[in-house]
Amino acid sequence: MSSTPAAAPPATSQEDREIRTGRSRQAGTSRGNRSRAAARAPWILLAPFLALFTLTFVLPIIVALISSFTKVTRSGLFGEKGVSSGFAGFDNYAQALGDANFIASIGRVLLFGIVQVPVMIVLCTILALLLESASARWPGFFRAAYFMPYGVPGVIATILWSFLYVPGLSPFIDIAGSMGITLDFLGPDHVLWSIANIVTWSYTGYNMLIIVAQLKAIPGELYEAARVDGASPWRIARSIQLPLITPALVLTTVFSIIGTLQLFAEAQVLKTSAPAIDSQYTPNLSAYSTAFAYNDYNVAAAQAVLIALAAFILSFVFLRLTNRKSS
Amino acid sequence: MPHVSRRRLLSTGLGAMSLAALGACATPGTHSVNADPAIPAASGQKVRLTYWAWLKDFQKVADLWNAKNPDVQVDIVWIPGGNSGGYQKMYSALAAGAGPDLAQIELRSIPEFMLVNGLVDLNRYGAEEFAHLYDPTLWGQVSFTGGLYGIPQDSGPMATFYQPALLDKVGATPPKTWDDWASTGKELRKAGSYIDCFAISDASPFAAFAAQAGATWFRPEEDGWVINMTDDATMNVARFFDKAIDDDVVQTDFAHYSPAWFAAAAKGGIATITTASWGDALVEGVSGGKGKWKAAPMPVWGNTGFGSSYLGGSTTAVLAGSKHPREALEFAVWLTTSHEGIDAMIKNSGIGWSPAKDFVGTSRQQPSEFFSGQNYFKDVFVPASREQNPKWSWWPITQQTFNILSDGFRKKAGGTSLVDAVAAAEQDVITVFRNKGLTIRKEQA
Repeated sequence: MSSTPAAAPPATSQEDREIRTGRSRQAGTSRGNRSRAAARAPWILLAPFLALFTLTFVLPIIVALISSFTKVTRSGLFGEKGVSSGFAGFDNYAQALGDANFIASIGRVLLFGIVQVPVMIVLCTILALLLESASARWPGFFRAAYFMPYGVPGVIATILWSFLYVPGLSPFIDIAGSMGITLDFLGPDHVLWSIANIVTWSYTGYNMLIIVAQLKAIPGELYEAARVDGASPWRIARSIQLPLITPALVLTTVFSIIGTLQLFAEAQVLKTSAPAIDSQYTPNLSAYSTAFAYNDYNVAAAQAVLIALAAFILSFVFLRLTNRKSS
Repeated sequence: MPHVSRRRLLSTGLGAMSLAALGACATPGTHSVNADPAIPAASGQKVRLTYWAWLKDFQKVADLWNAKNPDVQVDIVWIPGGNSGGYQKMYSALAAGAGPDLAQIELRSIPEFMLVNGLVDLNRYGAEEFAHLYDPTLWGQVSFTGGLYGIPQDSGPMATFYQPALLDKVGATPPKTWDDWASTGKELRKAGSYIDCFAISDASPFAAFAAQAGATWFRPEEDGWVINMTDDATMNVARFFDKAIDDDVVQTDFAHYSPAWFAAAAKGGIATITTASWGDALVEGVSGGKGKWKAAPMPVWGNTGFGSSYLGGSTTAVLAGSKHPREALEFAVWLTTSHEGIDAMIKNSGIGWSPAKDFVGTSRQQPSEFFSGQNYFKDVFVPASREQNPKWSWWPITQQTFNILSDGFRKKAGGTSLVDAVAAAEQDVITVFRNKGLTIRKEQA
């Protein structure tokens, strides 16, 4: 039922020719006005978008950049004898990078990303393949069920999970304790992975849905041909489905890398139950504390710029690596 | 004359506007409201004040004032408590040049708000005439360089809440000294309980214990701040808790009033808690705890230091954006010194210790059913409120100092002692002061 190229209308129709001749006839008189109007049109149409984009996106970034190069100096006990602000050069960046806790927070989320992102991507790929396999039962129900955690806000998800982590409240800890196993979900060595568990729980279904969408776009003929050739379901997954969902996998991985660097709510909420989480546990938490608990907006701006740069570099490197592999 | 097209004009205008917008985005908090001329009291016109606070049912308290003062109406807006989001909200509002007239700010956070020029000096609006109504120690904690930056609203004299049944099991009474506390703690461990928590994630109890032992970490002088976090008193306290943690006498896995603490306290895993007077409302939240708790004076450091200390406590401060500072001040004084205001705050909001010199609140003169029929306000907290270190002063980076300290405390599991953590923290704090351009020097021994 697909239309062949032969059935398409001829490339140059009667209308086309008329427009072309018309244009050439008028060219001598009003070409300037026309082309200027034509050049202006997209800008006028874009203006509402550009205005908002500039106001809410470009301008704040510029302000943050300027702020990150500004230094406020106070004199007296509280700055009551004068406050001056001036150009700081890279002082704020040096202070941010010289802060061992901030560097540790970056190292922490990198470790988190190296473990959590692959686990989540593998998990969501498996779920997507299972749901899209011919023998899946009630795929619609399970798709919705797996996606549901994404509908739970990160803060609520963390509160829900914290009841399963806190000693004295958690049934897991009680059951394991009765078997002689001591579980400590919130200790300094484990709490990062407890957060990873919450994040995986929240986002696997969402990423699965992206992959399912891409799986659904695979033409039926490919499956038919493979089956005619006697390919097993495993062979179909390996040789047809996986190669064709690569773009979705790349996309979800890049989103996950950026998401990892922006980790905030889970750590912030779990802090009340886990003494091991400090005020600079993740880079974003660090920038938040610096800005709004320590009132050092300038250093916080420098930290924010560094986080954005790190996300940019990591995403870029990952895209480069995957492009090279596919070409 | 060069021809200026409409578009050129438009783009130049837009450019200038965005530049002006950028110019307006100077680093927040660099303009002092206390250098501007004082705002005269409103005469004859109706005034609406907004008060951001995290006390519950606070509007009911304000409504008592509103009924009597038709010209000055106060609206309460609830915010999250202190550093759990309330301050962040206030700082953003101040940075944006907005915000309420009044805000609840903890005593320890007053200097931090001064650093961003967020507070009105109330002495410029006649606060001195009310000084005699307040506990002088608290009045001292909000006075800096001749100015007054908040009206004390409640405070937190410290004592120990304990479960008599658990102490009886090991034949102990509430510890009178910290040495008693340590030996009772050892006995309690054998009975499967901890005597208390030591919060590695919150340094404020540690600071309170150091203040009790006689430490004064910061002193504002004419030529800048003087820091002394490594005096004998503080080092003794650090050494004491180093040993307590090494001997497994205290619980360090969770902090006071966390979900795990409530679970442990309900199951008898925690026998005592040395905390502020406002802790009573929280202890009353321990499930099935009615009649199982009592209060006693907190342990003392041998023959040195003070009988009690302070933890928390807050003020009613007037924020820089207020258009009616004098009216705001009058409301704050009514709230914190009138019998009507104090009783209403206790009844509706369960505030901490009253800052008024001679009134603790009507309901606090009666025995408490939850605390085993004990009249613990009169017996324990009234004396405690008179035995606090009067020299302690808060400083402009209190929260950051506490975070630096607790970052050090967290390393205790890895072998870094509290003593080392405090010494390292002092150096870091000096660096933070200097990075802000403030003058600070180490106390000469």
